[in-house]
Amino acid sequence: MPMAGGKENGGAASKAGKVARPVGKKHPVLKQKSPAEFFSENKNIAGFDNPGKSLYTTVRELVENALDSAESIAELPEIEVTIEEIEKSRFHALIGLVDQDRVDEELYGDFETDKLKEKRLAREAKEQERLAKAGKKAKEGQRAGGKGKGDASFYRVTVKDNGKGMPHDDIPNMLGRVLSGTKYGLRQTRGKFGLGAKMALIWSKMSTGLPIDIRSAMKGHPFCTFCRLDIDIHKNLPNIHKHEKEPNPQRWRGAELQVVIEGNWTTYKSKIVNYMRQMAVITPYAEFVFRFISTTPDKNISIHFARRTDVMPAAPQEAKYHPSAVDLLLIKRLIAETSKQTLSQFLVAEFDTVKKPLAERLIGEMGPDFASKMAVRSLTDQQVARIHQLFRQAKFADPSGDCLSPAGEYNMRLGIMKDLHPDMVATYQGSTQVFEGHPFIVEAGLSLGGKDVKPGINVFRFANRIPLLFEAGGDVITRTASKRINWASYKINQTTDKIGVFVSIVSTKIPFKGTGKEYIGDDIPEIAAAVKQALQQCCLQLKSKIVRQQQARERQQRKRNLARYIPDVTRAVFEVLDTIADSKRRRTELPPGDAALLEKVVSEEVTEETLRQKLTQHVEQVDNEMALEYAAQTGKVETAPETIFLRALDSKRAFLPDLHSPVCVFRLLAGC
Amino acid sequence: MSSRRKRGAAGANDGGALAFKKKLKSDDEILAKVAKLSEAEKKKPKESVTLQDLNLPNVSKEVVDLGAPQVISEIEKTMLSVAASILNGHGFGYTIPTRTSANQLYVPQLDRIVLKDKSSFRQYGNMSTVRKTAITTRILQLIHQLCNKGIHVTKRDLFYTDVKLFQEQGQSDTILDDVSCMLGCTRSSLNVVGSEKGVVVGRLIFVEDGDVIDCTKMGVGGKAIPPNIDKVTGFQSDAKFILLVEKDAAFMRLAEDRFYNRFPCVIITAKGQPDVATRLFLKKMKSELKIPVLGLVDSDPYGLKILSVYMSGSKNMSYDSSNLTTPDIKWLGVRPSDLDRFKIPEQCRLPMTDADMKTGKEMLEEDFIKKDPRWHAELELMVKKKEKAEIQALSSFGFQYLTEVYLPMKLQEGDWI
Repeated sequence: MPMAGGKENGGAASKAGKVARPVGKKHPVLKQKSPAEFFSENKNIAGFDNPGKSLYTTVRELVENALDSAESIAELPEIEVTIEEIEKSRFHALIGLVDQDRVDEELYGDFETDKLKEKRLAREAKEQERLAKAGKKAKEGQRAGGKGKGDASFYRVTVKDNGKGMPHDDIPNMLGRVLSGTKYGLRQTRGKFGLGAKMALIWSKMSTGLPIDIRSAMKGHPFCTFCRLDIDIHKNLPNIHKHEKEPNPQRWRGAELQVVIEGNWTTYKSKIVNYMRQMAVITPYAEFVFRFISTTPDKNISIHFARRTDVMPAAPQEAKYHPSAVDLLLIKRLIAETSKQTLSQFLVAEFDTVKKPLAERLIGEMGPDFASKMAVRSLTDQQVARIHQLFRQAKFADPSGDCLSPAGEYNMRLGIMKDLHPDMVATYQGSTQVFEGHPFIVEAGLSLGGKDVKPGINVFRFANRIPLLFEAGGDVITRTASKRINWASYKINQTTDKIGVFVSIVSTKIPFKGTGKEYIGDDIPEIAAAVKQALQQCCLQLKSKIVRQQQARERQQRKRNLARYIPDVTRAVFEVLDTIADSKRRRTELPPGDAALLEKVVSEEVTEETLRQKLTQHVEQVDNEMALEYAAQTGKVETAPETIFLRALDSKRAFLPDLHSPVCVFRLLAGC
Repeated sequence: MSSRRKRGAAGANDGGALAFKKKLKSDDEILAKVAKLSEAEKKKPKESVTLQDLNLPNVSKEVVDLGAPQVISEIEKTMLSVAASILNGHGFGYTIPTRTSANQLYVPQLDRIVLKDKSSFRQYGNMSTVRKTAITTRILQLIHQLCNKGIHVTKRDLFYTDVKLFQEQGQSDTILDDVSCMLGCTRSSLNVVGSEKGVVVGRLIFVEDGDVIDCTKMGVGGKAIPPNIDKVTGFQSDAKFILLVEKDAAFMRLAEDRFYNRFPCVIITAKGQPDVATRLFLKKMKSELKIPVLGLVDSDPYGLKILSVYMSGSKNMSYDSSNLTTPDIKWLGVRPSDLDRFKIPEQCRLPMTDADMKTGKEMLEEDFIKKDPRWHAELELMVKKKEKAEIQALSSFGFQYLTEVYLPMKLQEGDWI
């Protein structure tokens, strides 16, 4: 990506007057492209391939921004997402066009000649007939002709959070300038490019031309900022329509962004809802309200994802670069930005795992041209190259991973239980692993059963705690789950069981693949191994539970199965006995015991019923013996499970003194 | 003796193929070597070695043909002890010889697979065996009924008498074999037969249940091999050899061309994997007529497998291998070395699949192949070249190449191993 190693274009940096390139010597024919222009022309990179995907990406960028904002001040996030469908006439009014009737019908792309119309009607009639035959309502058929090709759909997307808000004066620069973000350090971040809302802004500019509305208030401020702006794509500068302070009597804190964009709800509805659902799984400490307001009220959707916990993972820390993960350009940038004077100080201050003694050893190894007291800014290009070379060859301790913020097993388990209601769930958090100098942690969850889960393997992928929904095929998680786990050995049926596979990878650098950064490649052995190990651990946890469940089920079925064939068997045996008893000739040749038995058959002392009773008794005896054996093995006695109810807490209730133990505290209700 | 056709009319297009045709001598000369083999066969003393003679340890007794009264009395003995056991409150069960491959033994002296003496107790009061025990009981009762009435049914009939219990035919078939083993009698003694599958045509006359059957007058379809072999008697033939064919298509060609009239022989096929009736029939025919058997199978591991079933028996039916196997079969064709010798064009040869290669390599280790170095060499060649070919590959030189050039050539040269 061109922007990955890009210069810090932030407002502060450019104000400091640092000129990176000799811009003045620009050749007259050479046209420079602003970052905003680059993105508007390559919007598929950022996930704006088509209107549907754009709607999806807009929602997700805004939601992720909102989450980050709330988490940055350790506030439990409350996020409201509203997508409002805008009628054509209302949209035209918004952009100042008058609805005009078509005069020259043939001018339009969706004009149909009489012949075509006849054909269409005939086809629709046929379709209706078919649907009627299948017993379905011909709902879709009527709609088919309704929407012409030229009609784009427009939506107003509003996302409101309870985050930290934005300073009044910074709002235009924070939103109206591409690549002017705060997300450019080395840190585990949600965003893929750090573009966030700005791409949505460019998309709204491209598709509707309408500006975006921002409302924001910070803690303790008596006012609320309202700002309406759009972006000047060529200059990469905000174009402010309105920037004013409004009263904020409720002392509301947070931000609300509103954009009007072209989209496609019909095709991306499931993706957007899925995204919200998966986001709720990985972020169970947040509260989400999702609303879709349609022009036809029966299509309205309103989903509330309730908060299940108030334990929030710690915010990810900014990390120093690991020496084995830097490139030449990055070293130069760090040199340019560092506040340290000497080489030794620079190495200790800017790189992970480099302590003073190691820095001295490294400098000694670099050669006679280097000294620990030399000014870091005096390094020549060759010297920097030598540092880079040494960084590549020397051995460094692995990064600690303290800077990462995994969702945590507790949150993951709650998230899965909250939204899938599975029969069983297991979670596992792997230890910190390292690839190419970047620490990463793999967490996995595995669920069986649940509502709205399809039979087979359902993979839920998360990278830096955001769901990945596209291009699952090549993803390391999907491939590991479907190819490298031997489900049968854990008593899990890969095709009929409802398996939920949840894997979350957090890292300071997620090795995304594909243009849209939609999946994590399967070519990093460290990650593939960690994912497999985490899933296997979950499988192991579930296996014992499954085995126990199967045994219990078997126990219930045992008696029934054993009893099932009693009639078949006794009838067959008795029929043979009866036949023998009938032929007198043979009876005399038999040993005395058998002869006596046959006598009883003749005298009807032994009948089919006698055999049946005796065999039934035997089966009961066998069943009891096996139940005893089972109880002896597991130390459990079979008793019916009892339902117990926990009383809800309320303020009126008094408690006994707390009972403390090393792992928990019991607080008993008084007067129970 | 032969309806000679004008040679060369078969439309052979290949120089190599034509060259072979030119080498063919008169029919009598062609037959000379087969006739010699046939003479030698007739002079061979009757095989006298049996499993009992060998007195091997850990080998189960081989099953024998039992008359209906004996079968009935065996079943009654079993059922009486079952009833007694139930009445004593002990439930019941059956001791059944194990038929898994771990319990099979290849006996080189006999050149066939026999069953070892391991057996298992199948009891009613156990989750894993309750179903099989129930089916066994039902089958015993049904056979008791059949033997009392003296009628025969097919395996399919047997299955349909209690579909609800048996659920699928595979289950009743398996238990039927278990019952044969347990009672120590052949499956035909149980009055249950397979459905007709094999066919025979050629210079053979026999009596089936009183009717004289002349297999030269059976048209091109041939005579279906009767399922209950005990009703077949009085074999008569002037054939010099028996031609065992793997497939229906090649059988059709041979029958339609009246190959057996040009070269006196009996042609038999089981259309793929041989069923019990065909194997019994071949065994009986061979031991009564005392003529050699020449095998014509595909040049692939599967073809060899079929030969092995005819010769040393299948693992499933090893308890009755003495009645079912015909050890001395000569491998006439199509052998892997024939592919190059008869210049079979590339497009008629098929690459062996992974499964083929696996079977081929496994068979290289089997005693049945190892005992004859010539067979081993042929299979090694197949595995090495990774090529297989069906009998039909010969049709690339014309539909009648098989009957007019290939087989006469093979016979003339005595090219069997």
